[in-house]
Amino acid sequence: MAMSKESKKEKKAKVKIKPGRLARREAITGLIFVTPWIIGAAIFLIYTLGSSFWYGLNNIRITPMGKNFNFVGLGNYTQILLVDTDFTPQLSQYLFSTIISVPVIVVFALIIAILLNGKIRCKGFFRLIFFLPVIVVSGPVMGMLADQGAATISTIDTQAIGNAVSGFLPRSLAESITELFGNMITILWYSGVQILIFLSALQKIDSSMYEAAQMDGGSGWECFWKITLPTIKPMILLNVVYTVVFISGNEQNAIITLIQDSMFSGTKEKGYGYASAMAWLYSLVVVLIVVLFAVLLMARKDIYERQVKRARRERKKEARTVKRIERRGIRNARKIEKARTKRKYKTYDGSGDY
Amino acid sequence: MKKRSRLLALLLSASMVAGLAGCGNDSGNAGDGGGDGNSGNTERAQEVVINGITYHPAADLTSDNIELTYFHFDQDETVKYLADRFMELYPNIKVNAVYENVATYNTTLNTLVSNGNAPDCIMYSDADFALSNMLLADVFEYWNADPETQNLADTVNSAGLGTFQTSGRFGVPVKFFPGVMYVDRNVLETLNVDVPGMDWTWSEMIQLIKDCTVLDSPDGMAYYGLGVLNRLDSYYGIAASQDIIGEFGYNGKTFDLSVWAVGEQDFADLKLGGYVAPAVETQENEDWSGDWEKWFGSTGHVAMFSEAFWTYQGTWATEAFNDLNLDVIPFVVPAVSEQDAGSDHHSIATIDFGGVTTGSKYPREAYELLKFMSFGIDGWKTRLEAYNDESIVNASGLALKYDVMPAPITKDAEVWDSYIAMYTKGMDEEHVAHWKNYFASCMQPIPFGWTSIAGYWNYCDEYFNKIGIHDKVDSGASKAADFATEATEKANLYHAQAMIDYFGPGGYNVLSDEELAAYEQQVADNS
Repeated sequence: MAMSKESKKEKKAKVKIKPGRLARREAITGLIFVTPWIIGAAIFLIYTLGSSFWYGLNNIRITPMGKNFNFVGLGNYTQILLVDTDFTPQLSQYLFSTIISVPVIVVFALIIAILLNGKIRCKGFFRLIFFLPVIVVSGPVMGMLADQGAATISTIDTQAIGNAVSGFLPRSLAESITELFGNMITILWYSGVQILIFLSALQKIDSSMYEAAQMDGGSGWECFWKITLPTIKPMILLNVVYTVVFISGNEQNAIITLIQDSMFSGTKEKGYGYASAMAWLYSLVVVLIVVLFAVLLMARKDIYERQVKRARRERKKEARTVKRIERRGIRNARKIEKARTKRKYKTYDGSGDY
Repeated sequence: MKKRSRLLALLLSASMVAGLAGCGNDSGNAGDGGGDGNSGNTERAQEVVINGITYHPAADLTSDNIELTYFHFDQDETVKYLADRFMELYPNIKVNAVYENVATYNTTLNTLVSNGNAPDCIMYSDADFALSNMLLADVFEYWNADPETQNLADTVNSAGLGTFQTSGRFGVPVKFFPGVMYVDRNVLETLNVDVPGMDWTWSEMIQLIKDCTVLDSPDGMAYYGLGVLNRLDSYYGIAASQDIIGEFGYNGKTFDLSVWAVGEQDFADLKLGGYVAPAVETQENEDWSGDWEKWFGSTGHVAMFSEAFWTYQGTWATEAFNDLNLDVIPFVVPAVSEQDAGSDHHSIATIDFGGVTTGSKYPREAYELLKFMSFGIDGWKTRLEAYNDESIVNASGLALKYDVMPAPITKDAEVWDSYIAMYTKGMDEEHVAHWKNYFASCMQPIPFGWTSIAGYWNYCDEYFNKIGIHDKVDSGASKAADFATEATEKANLYHAQAMIDYFGPGGYNVLSDEELAAYEQQVADNS
């Protein structure tokens, strides 16, 4: 009987408590605070995304008399994928070049951030220098610099690299690698924000961890791999995502130009609808790249985390076993009690008769 | 509570989306209205004199207070000057002149149109963009009722420039830059080569280029026959015959690129033969002139230039070029046959067109504004006032006449006399006579294809430029004639399809059944 009372108590404890007036007020306040975001997202994200998707299913002409919509279903998509001779090659080149250049940018940003986080003179000045391109190099300026040949390191013989890699790699991959070397300066200039993110992460690492490691004889190299890198790992993923998004939406990106050209093209098949369909296909590829990097970076958890997780799992397993044993005990006790009440069981009376 | 707040947030988002979706249904009926004076005639009111210029304002414009937007890529200060004068003539009309750089022009215009803010008048250079989006209204009624339109350069009406070979008129010429071959007489004199006459032929020009190329010059710097801005194949395609009214041998219905191929091959042969001066910012240029960035037009070692019309006033006539010992004079682009060369003949020209938009509520007034800004005599008198006053400068401090100044496309004698007087200011009589002779010979302009032929831009964008014909022929890898047949078929296909799309039932619907059938046949023949 005592057990059944306990289980009733447990059941009672599981009943949800109705939130009080204060909690409700807090929730409303929270909602009010997020309302601007909801409105912004509704106008600039949900509505535009919905419109863009609808546009992608239509052939659209924007005339002063109004927008002329002609529903074509998946016609734009099939046209882009099966007929358009520009989009698919550009997309594959973008895919390869992004996969190649993102690690370069992130690793460069990490190296610079570590250097800038060290004990050096004029730290602020150097930080400014590395962040300056972010402010200065807006789309048109970058375009002008690239036209002047400032996007490449003149001493790098990109043609020779191109010839060398095209010998054993597929054309689009070889072109992406050549392009990487051809736009080395540009790529390095894209790392300003990432450097800042890494810097802030580095500055949050507890210095006592390094001190403890050094006291145990840990070298700088070991400290980097065992302390710095695991601690800032979430920031690596963040930077990778930021870099992919930045490269994908950059004005220098040939696909953006292609989409814009299609938008304003006078060709019958093209226009806003065609460009929207292109943009959706492109977005899909961008999302795939982000997912790819996320899977790569999230899968590699460090040993400590794995051990903690395993221990947690084992504890949970033990708790489940204990509960199972308890439940079994309760069941058995009930059975015995029942049998006793029906006089099926007799307690041993010492007569030698079992 | 959590559920309720989620629900509230969802409802809020949904209501916003629904509300905005409702707003998005743009009726776009801006063109439904109309000014009071949409009668189609262009009656003139009493003369008005401003700054000594006698104007003939239109009498049939609305007396209501209205605002017109003129969206352009013309020289901004000049347009503003013209807009101010227009507002003086028509005090009830406010002109909002909006300049947009050519590079972002179509994008901005499209955004304005999609937001329901279509300007009343626009300039355009890519006809396919303007026609496919039905930006241009048919102003045939106003054009036909306007006597000034009959006194324009002959080809405007004879070749139907701006009509796109339909019964309507969708574009009017706004800026006219005649085709020209500039010759540096000092180079010819140094090389002891005769100066050509204005009636020279194509083959004479090619010969002159060859004669003036001296690679082992005694002064150590090679002389070249030709400095290139515009490719000669574009010039040849029009100079070949008087039946041709557009690039690539366009006769008003179909193309014939076998004509173009001859010019393309001539030009490629000149390049391959070493008769063409190196382009700026090339190693060849540095080896030749000693300066990576030196422009061949400033070397005094190039005999002839396929430069733009405005290069003379904008560059050679400026102070910086006074001491370079150049004597650059213009020649009309030569015709291929002697018979054509001996008289006024078709020659390539840069013409930027404009139109009244289909969204304008006041098309009659918009037409009058467009005319004032472009070919109209009153507008040109005002332009000349601005060009003559060198205290009026652009953003760089340069007098307006040096900043991409066009030529009048009207044949009005008063305008031309004033223009030549302004243009040749400071020249000796012999040069003035030469310029007069040139201007008298350049009034049969045929514009580049993308401004005047439906489907041309798309054809170049999606076929011609994509397969890199110029590069292949210029490098000697292919002969131009190899491409002629297929390129002709493709051009005919693009053009016919564009005509059906733009002017057929799905577009302006101005083609007759016979015309439509002919274009459909053309599509079938070339598919």
